[in-house]
Amino acid sequence: MNIIETNGLGKRYGSTWALRECSLAVPAGHVAALVGPNGAGKTTLLNLAVGLAAPSAGGVTVLGGHPAGSPAALDGVAFVAQDTPLYKNLSVADMLHLTRNLNWRFDQRYAEIRLGELGIPLKRKAGKLSGGQQAQLALTLALARRPRLLVLDEPVAMLDPIARHDFMALVLTAAVDDGVSVVLSSHVLAELERVADYLVLLSRGRVQVAGEVDDLLASHRVLTGPAAEADRYAERPVVHVRRGEVQAHLLVRAGADDPVPPRWEAHPVGLEELALAYLREPGAAALPGPTLPGPALPGPTLPGPALPGPARDRALPLEDGEPSEVTR
Amino acid sequence: MTALRVPAWPEQGTSLRSVPWRRMAWVTWRQHRIALAGAAALLGGLAIYLWLAGLQIHRDWTAAVACHPASSGACGALAGYAIHDWQPAQIIATVLQAVPALIGAFVGAPVLAREMETGTFRYAWTQGFGRWRWTLAKLVPLAVLLAAAAGAFSALLSWYYQPFLAGNVQFGGSPVRLDAGMFDLLGVAFAAWTLAAFAIGALAGMLIRRVVPAIVATLAAYTGLALAAALYLREHYMTPLLVKNADAPGSAWVLSQQWYARGGQPVSQDTLAQVLSGAPQLGGGKGGIPQDDPSVNQYLVQHGYTLLTTYQPGSRFWPFQWIEGGWLLALSVLLIAAAVWLVRRRAA
Amino acid sequence: MPGGRAEASPIEFRLDAASGVPTYLQLVQQVEHALRLGYLKPGDQLPKVRDVVASLAINPNTVLKAYRELETKGLTAGRPGQGTFIQATLSQVALPELAGLRKALLGWLAAAGTAGLDEDGMVALFTSALRDFHERRRSEPQGRGGAASGEKEGVA
Repeated sequence: MNIIETNGLGKRYGSTWALRECSLAVPAGHVAALVGPNGAGKTTLLNLAVGLAAPSAGGVTVLGGHPAGSPAALDGVAFVAQDTPLYKNLSVADMLHLTRNLNWRFDQRYAEIRLGELGIPLKRKAGKLSGGQQAQLALTLALARRPRLLVLDEPVAMLDPIARHDFMALVLTAAVDDGVSVVLSSHVLAELERVADYLVLLSRGRVQVAGEVDDLLASHRVLTGPAAEADRYAERPVVHVRRGEVQAHLLVRAGADDPVPPRWEAHPVGLEELALAYLREPGAAALPGPTLPGPALPGPTLPGPALPGPARDRALPLEDGEPSEVTR
Repeated sequence: MTALRVPAWPEQGTSLRSVPWRRMAWVTWRQHRIALAGAAALLGGLAIYLWLAGLQIHRDWTAAVACHPASSGACGALAGYAIHDWQPAQIIATVLQAVPALIGAFVGAPVLAREMETGTFRYAWTQGFGRWRWTLAKLVPLAVLLAAAAGAFSALLSWYYQPFLAGNVQFGGSPVRLDAGMFDLLGVAFAAWTLAAFAIGALAGMLIRRVVPAIVATLAAYTGLALAAALYLREHYMTPLLVKNADAPGSAWVLSQQWYARGGQPVSQDTLAQVLSGAPQLGGGKGGIPQDDPSVNQYLVQHGYTLLTTYQPGSRFWPFQWIEGGWLLALSVLLIAAAVWLVRRRAA
Repeated sequence: MPGGRAEASPIEFRLDAASGVPTYLQLVQQVEHALRLGYLKPGDQLPKVRDVVASLAINPNTVLKAYRELETKGLTAGRPGQGTFIQATLSQVALPELAGLRKALLGWLAAAGTAGLDEDGMVALFTSALRDFHERRRSEPQGRGGAASGEKEGVA
């Protein structure tokens, strides 16, 4: 079953398309990370998926075919928006009461136990909690609804490292215990590899990469070798080139079984390096083939960049500090 | 650690029953109790004052009316005392004009505007209850509650103003029920205007999406509507009656008076001034025509002019109340429906 | 953090986020290392998947992948409803063999030093050769061009 399925989905605000031609099939039972620079369309895509926005083009269904925003979708999907909106004047207990009244399913005991473990007092007003506690509260409310899909929009952006860790631990244990599928957006690439097993990369409103993390990592490598020979690989699916005077690194679409040319070395790629490389090459894409539904498969060669020139470091506005360019 | 129960998820294809409406009762109460408390305080505070002051007014007027003979000095003093009560009551009437607007704006506008402004709609509209049902379940009960409270309050107002409106003691500037400043405090009008203000507030909140601007816009729109109704619309609910001279009955709402020449054309004030200049002892000519001066009127009639008074009789008070209440109710329903429709349609 | 319970595992996992080694592999290596050092013995239970997820905040599929790998290697066996348990030890290398290997290694180090490699260069060379060896073992043996003319080899 596909937990989120979009078909040519697009959203326009005024004359600007925030999202275009987005076709995804995110399988259930995964923790999917939605990644991209600011303005790439992550929040737009999530808003469409939870029914807060209506598409300008195409459609989106969740939980195996229910239209986004329909009663069945609202029942089975729990959303925590950016900045974790809560009613500041309501106490924590009131927020529990509120969520219980607004949904069919609500596990009051679970919520109270969780909040007790987190040390969040029931009587305190939600506005008086710390940022981390508010995020934990919003997450607890969402999980207590026993959703099948949990959607999180930049959940940890405002949190300190410990709060971040505790937050993700809560999300992931829910995934283990209840089989909740998770879709979370982030622009903190560094932690993704630990957490995500499905990746969707958005850039400028379009999907650049979509697939299982294991498949993506298995189908890409970095080839390191003499810069002079780098041009030889123009026809091969090269995603990104970083080159120095004598040495160059090519991030290519190739598996472990593909032959490595002489004088070249092959290294496996990490998720962060892969994501950054694609973000730097807007023309490149790694998308599943046109057959949906079913789990996404890394497809055949898709338009890659033409002969890459010298290392271009287009600064895309990633909020967190990207690692500075180091010629390895 | 804890045994977490895995619920039975509904099978695909079976229709999901909606979460029951009554669940929203606590939600609406909890989220709007401050605003409702404010409205209750306003009405309650005014009610206490009106009750205490009204008791005094009724005592004064009962004494004045019961006094015999009416022309004696002692009775005249009592009458004067009673008439004196009108001053503060008149001021109160002016102040009360604002009450429906305030209640409607401060209770109605934040319902949707605050959700949009603080972003909590991203929480509220992704819960299982569903966004348009959530909106309806908030707006309708609040509207009904406010209208009921306003209705009860205006019963108190009717009691408070009854001595002045009864017409037992004549005094200059005495009000009639159809007067602009009285009509909307009595009968069903007060409740209807409160309901309309609330509906305007709700829609303004959804259109403007910020609380303070929405409140301001609500007050402005309400003021415009109230003025339009009082100055233009209300006169025409039924065709006004005409009578010669100034013989409109005491409780009538006089709309206009116009002198006509023999041929039936209306006569301007300048012409009348010219005519009156021939009789300077009547005081006309300079500074305008004295109104309601029988000797002036008699003089002009003798010279062939006819005075026609356009008015609405006091007996039409209740028909007018139903008409005004009716269109305000329809408008309120329309505005609330529009707000709900916007909620359904709105993109994040 | 889970407190001490009757069925707690003898070991606890840690994660080195900056090491560049994939998470699941770190878990596998930690189990093997614990086996080697005696922290784990056959019959011991590995930490429950849920507890690992809760304490490290990692994807559950990662833990499952690591445990599957250990099972494929024959080191562990899963008991349904109970958990994953150690069932074998790592093959021990006999002591004389170990001594011989160590001696050969020292010889290699001496030769590398003579050729002009400093310590970092030796480590880099060894690591890259180890990786190639590992990959060659996984796939069919391909003729791979000579291990690096390694003057400017970077290590990824």
